[in-house]
Amino acid sequence: MIGRLLLLLHIASRHLLMRQRQTLVATSGVAVGVGFFLAVSALMVGSQADFVRQLIDVAPHIIISDELRSPAPQPGRRAFPDGAVVLHGYKVRNEVRGIKDWQAVMASAAAIPGAVVSPSLSGAVTLRLGGREEPLGVIGIDPALESRVSTISDKLRAGHLDDLERVQGGVIIGEELASRLGLNMGDIVGATAASGTTRSLRIVGLVKKGNSQLGSSNGYMLLREAQSLLGRPFIINRIGIKLSDPYTAQDVARTLEQRYGYKAESWQERSSDFLSLLVTRNIIMYTVVSAILLVASFGIYTAVSNSVADKRRDIAILRSMGFSEADLQIVFVVEGLALAVIGVLLGWLLGYALMSILGSLRFSIGGEDQSIPIDRSPRQYLIAAAASLLAGGVAAWLPARKSAKVDPVDILRGAM
Amino acid sequence: MNAPAPDRPVLVAEGLTRRLPVDPPVTLVDRADLAIQPGCFTAIVGPSGCGKSSLLYLLGLIDRPTQGRLLFEGRDMTPLSGDERARIRLEHFGFVFQFHFLLPEFNALENVMLPIRRLGTLSSAEADARARTLLADVGLGEKVLKSPDKLSGGERQRVAIARALANDPALILGDEPTGNLDSTNSARVVDLFRTLAHEQGRAVVCVTHDTGIAEVADVRVTMLDGRVEEVRRQHGGQHG
Repeated sequence: MIGRLLLLLHIASRHLLMRQRQTLVATSGVAVGVGFFLAVSALMVGSQADFVRQLIDVAPHIIISDELRSPAPQPGRRAFPDGAVVLHGYKVRNEVRGIKDWQAVMASAAAIPGAVVSPSLSGAVTLRLGGREEPLGVIGIDPALESRVSTISDKLRAGHLDDLERVQGGVIIGEELASRLGLNMGDIVGATAASGTTRSLRIVGLVKKGNSQLGSSNGYMLLREAQSLLGRPFIINRIGIKLSDPYTAQDVARTLEQRYGYKAESWQERSSDFLSLLVTRNIIMYTVVSAILLVASFGIYTAVSNSVADKRRDIAILRSMGFSEADLQIVFVVEGLALAVIGVLLGWLLGYALMSILGSLRFSIGGEDQSIPIDRSPRQYLIAAAASLLAGGVAAWLPARKSAKVDPVDILRGAM
Repeated sequence: MNAPAPDRPVLVAEGLTRRLPVDPPVTLVDRADLAIQPGCFTAIVGPSGCGKSSLLYLLGLIDRPTQGRLLFEGRDMTPLSGDERARIRLEHFGFVFQFHFLLPEFNALENVMLPIRRLGTLSSAEADARARTLLADVGLGEKVLKSPDKLSGGERQRVAIARALANDPALILGDEPTGNLDSTNSARVVDLFRTLAHEQGRAVVCVTHDTGIAEVADVRVTMLDGRVEEVRRQHGGQHG
């Protein structure tokens, strides 16, 4: 059996060697298809991974806030869950803001392996400098925990998150807000909360421009100081959770929300509009790329088809010698597969070269030198190879079937 | 129609008929009865278009009869599948055609080795040795590594004969094997065929126009209009 396959392989390889030009054209078709598949998918997958990473990391994977998705059910409804209870004209009670029993929520979130939990309190204050007033959304945080949950430390133009601990009344605000107020590092600004409490705050850090998620009108303070400024001691209204596997966020969020009733928003929910955009993008990419591979397989079809037509005499004599129809079909399918395999190998080299070129390009975005994110995982290579071999196999098999239709009698006695 | 039967025949045709399914039907071979003896050189002769080549392809299991039976070593070949018939050809039949039909991508040695390797019973070293011996037997011991386009017409035909003998067949079938050769080369091929029959005990069947072959054959089968007109033993039955 192995000897037979080796023999058929031998015949196929001689055919290919004798027809070098056809072989070259067919393999380069596959190689270009595979090469550009790799380059395009490396770009698409790379940029997507980069984008998703930013979506995931800009904020905690799950944010539990003190909001409820729907008001608590009315007592009448609760008493008769299966009854036909209709209530008209009731007013939803204004719940006390802040997460009740937040220590328990935090404890159960922290119990998830690999999870980091950070509590915070946000509220609105007004910054006053001279005659000027600017609203500021204050977020009170624990710097040690928050820096592990989100990436704000990387987004600071100046200062350090830990400075909040060291400086009494320290605050970190956005660069734009600071320039609007004419503030600089170390300057002091007055802040008034809705409750009327006033404090003097000192600028200890500036957040870079262009971070839309952080917003230009948000600022960070120490949790304790924010609680005191906002007049809500020991209260928090937001819990950020970072998971070891961000892709479990949706499930974890659902569980926590069911358990405590508070709205738990995963990063997927937060960015569902972007994610659906990515799905469309992937569909477009794979459509275009499969078209490239399909066209490449046409080259294989032509090469094998021509080979069958040119080798009718050889087919006839091999049949008369005692080679079976299947033997001949294998010879021609092997020819097609060999073209695909050589094409894939060359395509891998081409794709690798294209990726290296793309990866070496530098672009200036927002004043920062950046390179294009490229995904170099072997998965893309395997997908390209599998798709090409499949397409090549089918493209070879279709004309190879014709070799069985060659009637030896016609050829042997017709003698060309 | 009186086929001689001193030995058990290798191949027996009973009412072998081949019709082309066209309208009106064309009968290529019409109820041919024939027995092919081992050690016997049989020539099939007749005018062009009399069906002698068609009969040869039926005998060689390359074509299928529309009626009648063909027995090889007593076994009916008609119900066999294409793959089974290919196997019989591989193991027991050797073909020589008017054109050498050597594979141009392979040298003489590799061409002769093709059927040996396909049969797969010999190791590659044994196959190589056997192919070299066969080529030496046909006088091409020096040219085993030459590709077919570097050989003369007579040499190519001798390579084709060596290839036909590759798996030690019981039956050699020739379709005008000397049709493209000059008289010297023709004579060599005919001598080879006689040796194969008389000294090695194989059955040799040749379709030919060449009266020289027809003269030296042990049995002369004459065909006309698809029918076997006459089967005549020659040279006082000398064979084997």
